[in-house]
Amino acid sequence: MSLNYAFMVQDIPVVLAALPRTLGFALCAYMGAILLAFLAGICILRNIPLLKQLVIALNTLLKGVPLMVQLLLCFYAIPYLLQGLDGFLGYAYNPKNPSYFAFALVAFAFNYGAYMTDVVLSSYRAVDKGQLEAAYSVGMSAWQGLAHIVLPQALVIAIPNLTNYFIWLFKASSLASLVNVFELLATARMSTANNYAILEGYIVAAGIYWLVCVLAEKGFALLDKKMNKFRHDLPTA
Amino acid sequence: MWSGSELFAEALPQLAAYIPITLLCFAVPSLVALFMGSLICYIRVGKKNLLYYLASLFVSFFRGTPGLIQIYLFFFGLPKLVAVFGIDINRWDALIFFILSTCCNFSSFVSEAFRSAYLALDKGQIEAGYSIGFNRWQCFAQIIAPQALQIALPNLKNLEIDLLKGTAVAYVIGAMDVMGKAQYIISMHRGFGQIWVLLAAAVIYFLITVGLELLFNFLTKRFSRHEGVAA
Repeated sequence: MSLNYAFMVQDIPVVLAALPRTLGFALCAYMGAILLAFLAGICILRNIPLLKQLVIALNTLLKGVPLMVQLLLCFYAIPYLLQGLDGFLGYAYNPKNPSYFAFALVAFAFNYGAYMTDVVLSSYRAVDKGQLEAAYSVGMSAWQGLAHIVLPQALVIAIPNLTNYFIWLFKASSLASLVNVFELLATARMSTANNYAILEGYIVAAGIYWLVCVLAEKGFALLDKKMNKFRHDLPTA
Repeated sequence: MWSGSELFAEALPQLAAYIPITLLCFAVPSLVALFMGSLICYIRVGKKNLLYYLASLFVSFFRGTPGLIQIYLFFFGLPKLVAVFGIDINRWDALIFFILSTCCNFSSFVSEAFRSAYLALDKGQIEAGYSIGFNRWQCFAQIIAPQALQIALPNLKNLEIDLLKGTAVAYVIGAMDVMGKAQYIISMHRGFGQIWVLLAAAVIYFLITVGLELLFNFLTKRFSRHEGVAA
């Protein structure tokens, strides 16, 4: 099998330069997803009528449709929405420079937000009910009980799930290359445009993704271990 | 000219005609992964010999890189690889490359699901099997497999649903499944009304996912029907 090894070596720094951008994209999408999941979790846990049913229906839809379809839908539909918003509150629609980055971000945030809602719910429910009752019994307000008693414990429970979702999101972010986001995979494809060494470019990209994922997995495992010391006194039930 | 809802109504039956192909993209890797996943799992819970490290490397690669890149690597790399042996597969359908890469990808994930289920098994169960004179195969078929499958089933369900939704990526190498057809219709309309075609595709994928969900809920119920009796 003949590969252009010289090109592969020289391609590594080129593709690697796109890694911060890719990680930034993944991190932005992740933050958005956590925020949405948190809001959705509040809607469901607080039993807000109508909003709760709406959130559940939306989550079911988001989980039942491929991310690829959602990405393309955002890619095509958001410009129409923005066009409709033209002139609203002084917003001027500019069709020349659509922000593909932001379009893809919306799709990722909503898709992963739907999955992470389950994490929010399950980790909240995993905290013993007595903990909140104890907080009320010493005179804490609902907010204090949540912020000081429930959230820290729920977070510790949620960490393995949350870190897993980040790795998945990072890997899935390669799909964004198909909707004009110039991330790692798109950079690798572009870098091979001059010499038809497409396979070599993809091998380099695969190597980088693999390395980052393995490192992230190891790092997160270490973090999880560190968190164990907060777990030993939790009720096991 | 067409209106959006007309295009939706027009695209839906055309896309539905490609459901069997999407299901094929889904079913072949699922079945292959049951065997290959068990095999990898069997290797990885055993002694740490060369085979163990090879299997671990395989799983690490296919879990640690995006599925999209794996599809590209198979599509562009495999013909080059087998060309060394004088075999020409350049004319193969893109679908075959997609299925091959997805088989490897999905087997890795399934093997991990099986492995964690095996590790969660009570080892006393296996010892009890040996103590009443079961051989290795009997032990596996009568004791390990039914229990491990029950533990792995919720995990497996999520993976299968992910697999189904992952088939929507096959169009990037030119495979003609539901999504491929959707892209084809979009290009036939010169880039207008994509949203309606994609919505039709979304409806189809959603219905298949719901069906899959129901199937697995039924299986979960069936596999845990002895729960509480044998505990």
